[in-house]
Amino acid sequence: MPSERIDFTKNRILIGAMGTVLQQRGLKPGAIPDLLNLTDPALIEGVYREYLAAGSEILYTNTFGTNARKLEKTGKSVAEVVSAAVAVARRATEGTDALVALDIGPLGELLEPLGTLPFERAYELFREVALAGAAAGADLAVVETMTDLAETRAALLAVKENTDLPVMVTMSFEENGRTFTGCTVASMARTLTGLGADAIGLNCSLGPDRLAPLLRELCENTDLPVIAKPNAGLPDPLDGHYDMDAETFAAALEPMAAAGVGVFGGCCGAGPEYIELVARRLKGKTPVPRAARRESFVCTAVKPLPITGVRVIGERINPTGKKRFQQALLENDLDYILDVAVAQEDAGADILDVNVGYPGVDEAEMLPRVVKALQGTTSLPLMLDSSNAAALEAGLRVYHGKAVVNSVNGDAEVLSRVLPIIKKYGAAVVGLTLDKSGVPQTAEQRFAIAKRILDAALSYGIAREDVWIDCLTLTVSAQQEQARETLKALRMVREELGLQTVLGVSNISFGLPNRPLVTRTFLVEALHAGLTLPILNPNQTELLDAVAAFRVLSGEDEASRAYIERFADYVAPQASAAAPKKEKAAQTAPLTLDDAIIRGLRAEAAALAREALGREDELSIVDGHLIPALDAVGEGYEAGRVFLPQLLSAAQAAQAVFEVIRESAAAKGGASVKKGALLVATVRGDVHDIGKNIVKTVLENYGYDVVDLGRDVAPEAVAAAVREKRIRLVGLSALMTTTLAAMEETVALLKTLPDPPRTFVGGAVVTAEYAARIGADYYARDAKASVEVARAVLG
Amino acid sequence: MTPDIDEILRYLRVRGEAGDLRARVERMAAELAEAVPPRWVCRAFPLSHTDGGVVLEGSGVTLAGALAQKMLGGCDTAVLLCCTLGMAFEQRVRALERRDMGAAVILDACGSAWVESGCDMACAELAERFAPRYLTDRFSPGYGDLPLSLQPAVLAALDAERRLGIHLSDSFLMTPCKSVTAVVGVSDAPQPARVRGCGFCAMRDGCEYRKGGTTCAV
Repeated sequence: MPSERIDFTKNRILIGAMGTVLQQRGLKPGAIPDLLNLTDPALIEGVYREYLAAGSEILYTNTFGTNARKLEKTGKSVAEVVSAAVAVARRATEGTDALVALDIGPLGELLEPLGTLPFERAYELFREVALAGAAAGADLAVVETMTDLAETRAALLAVKENTDLPVMVTMSFEENGRTFTGCTVASMARTLTGLGADAIGLNCSLGPDRLAPLLRELCENTDLPVIAKPNAGLPDPLDGHYDMDAETFAAALEPMAAAGVGVFGGCCGAGPEYIELVARRLKGKTPVPRAARRESFVCTAVKPLPITGVRVIGERINPTGKKRFQQALLENDLDYILDVAVAQEDAGADILDVNVGYPGVDEAEMLPRVVKALQGTTSLPLMLDSSNAAALEAGLRVYHGKAVVNSVNGDAEVLSRVLPIIKKYGAAVVGLTLDKSGVPQTAEQRFAIAKRILDAALSYGIAREDVWIDCLTLTVSAQQEQARETLKALRMVREELGLQTVLGVSNISFGLPNRPLVTRTFLVEALHAGLTLPILNPNQTELLDAVAAFRVLSGEDEASRAYIERFADYVAPQASAAAPKKEKAAQTAPLTLDDAIIRGLRAEAAALAREALGREDELSIVDGHLIPALDAVGEGYEAGRVFLPQLLSAAQAAQAVFEVIRESAAAKGGASVKKGALLVATVRGDVHDIGKNIVKTVLENYGYDVVDLGRDVAPEAVAAAVREKRIRLVGLSALMTTTLAAMEETVALLKTLPDPPRTFVGGAVVTAEYAARIGADYYARDAKASVEVARAVLG
Repeated sequence: MTPDIDEILRYLRVRGEAGDLRARVERMAAELAEAVPPRWVCRAFPLSHTDGGVVLEGSGVTLAGALAQKMLGGCDTAVLLCCTLGMAFEQRVRALERRDMGAAVILDACGSAWVESGCDMACAELAERFAPRYLTDRFSPGYGDLPLSLQPAVLAALDAERRLGIHLSDSFLMTPCKSVTAVVGVSDAPQPARVRGCGFCAMRDGCEYRKGGTTCAV
């Protein structure tokens, strides 16, 4: 929605380069250009006047690096710099119609999960800038040169939630169509459009010629005005001069108007002379009418997922009826949940349903935590599954893409509670065809509810493509006629409303023998009736096989390519039963559980552990097989016969065995099988955590409960976790000499606790002497040595 | 170009015969080379030699200390270089860590070797560009007495945050992790190889090889 204050019905001309122009005028390398607003405003005003004379209609304040983090060492506050910057731009525009845009650049620090800056902290930093800009009288805000969709969302939300300023957003892409952090053009466009930007576009990184295909893609994915603010070509590798002259630049930019771009400017290397030629060609003209491709779409930053065929939603992140999952939720064991996610991704899911609702779990706190963790682990788009509006809002807020929410229903009260949240965060939504009076018995009644949900969503400004309908599967052994009603309703929704359809298929077969056969048959029928988004267990291979076959028959799988690839190694069952098996048996003795662990064979080890559970109890498997096998690998490692990757593969096979044992214990209702808790962390300032992760993997597979605080962890955070969780052993890792001081500080702080835990330290630059000097209790040379430490302290 | 397999095995602390591990490393290194091209930026600066060290004119960078003096003593120009495998590599390692930690460690080692190969490729291009003049060995903050605290100035002179997506922590660590900054001198006279051996290695204090009485042979 373009703001009343910015008229995008005519082409708009932005400012060009600021940084490179200031360098030409003597700004020292490494100096902070933002401070010139205070120290030499006349210089900045002069540059503005040149741009206004050249035809610029929107000036950017000289505040690209203005935020509390980047200004920290300058002694200047955000408010001081911003008010001076707006004032100088305002002076230059006096007597003209030109607007002043508060420029907001990247924070200079990576957000979680790529880095360690929390989203909420990034939001606060941007909020301060936005408030200062609004107070100083900027006409609009522009968030620019962003490469991380999470950071971009933080900035956009901060402006929108704290000011009335219209906001333009531009990101920087490489020629491969991705930003440095892997964000795609479609993901960016659909996410930011949904989140309510006023105009979006691309700036920096490339010249207009190379940006052209990306701008076209952007135009196909948004209805908003589109901005092009390219560099003057590419910099010379030796002297840094940009290689495209003003005439070539303007000539290359002009055709972008025909593609639908309506806002033009220049970035690095493109000074006033470039803008003058751009304005001469484009100013005042009317942008060509244009509309985004209408399609249902969800995404993460790195994975755009248009719903242009059947897309499988994995149902396994859900505690209902799963003891092991319930235990993981109650124990805050996110690792287990992440493993469930990864298994579904590897099995072929396209979207993951995320449900963490369980008695004793605060969903509004847990859902965002799980969403954050999942985004660091899987690239798949998420379906946030809850009826708790607060949990949904908290989850959507930290989801850096376009999500789908499961679900609303025909109940007016539910619709009015949830739909505003869907609209605010630009998500898609699943509507269940039920209401206060329950699930209607006829297809026609369910269709009527679907229509009601659609109308309500449209009234909130939610796009039709973003409304997905679930016609509800009932158990066929209980209500036999309902299977046909469900399929009939689904067909009506698909054919008459043209909406995407969602359906959980597994329930259909409850209470019947050979459930997979019934489930699969129902799935295939539903697909033929028009189901596009089946919710199922992707680990059930036969279900995904059926989807693969359906995609061939529907024509979605062109030339059957994916199907052929899926079954490349397929051997017909009759043929495989006899011949190869015999051969195998003749060659090798049967694999033992111990061997499978030693050789790092995960699937085999898990299967053998399941077998062993018939003969032995959980603890005897741990003590009689798992630990001796790991010790054997450990000895080989010490002796130089086994190397680190092999040690770790064995550890992960052991982890698979452990998982089988935990499942078994959880099913019996017992507490989890764990030996004792310890904490590991990479110290403050250190972002290299592979060493710590190795130690964690190995310790977990010896049965220890490892609390992992991650990387770049402040001493205070370690101490707080030790107190809260009553930790008796703490492992600290540092890779670089520059972060050793933080290790020392952490050890010292832990010693001040009333009942101090034991500490062990390790990492590339840590030595036994150093460990002793800083007062650590143990030095762990490697992961194997950390096991000895854990044994000594925790048993 | 492909990553140096022996170097990767060395990072993995494989001593003696690697057995099946070598084939696995070769396969993963080849996949990495195909999927993640190293990217680099550089800038050349004229030098002036002062009492305070070697000044890269117009860059904001001054290289104090014995190493810079020794390496650049005969040079009138130096090139600052930054090479990275980017977040794409980082994301691959993280995805693997949850699936197969052993494979993740191999990939991490492949990345260390591959970013060095990227620097080699960049230097080969520079050698061509400057021919018939000569280049010194490249050397980096953290080598010898060249402090890591130069990183902010080096990265700023290259505009590496904007052009390569490099972020620097307060303790001078770069993200993406597989990133290297380096200095290469340009001279009219052939330059001897100099930055080799334990004396220049940042790892010399905690080195497993040295503790065992040997070296890694680089």
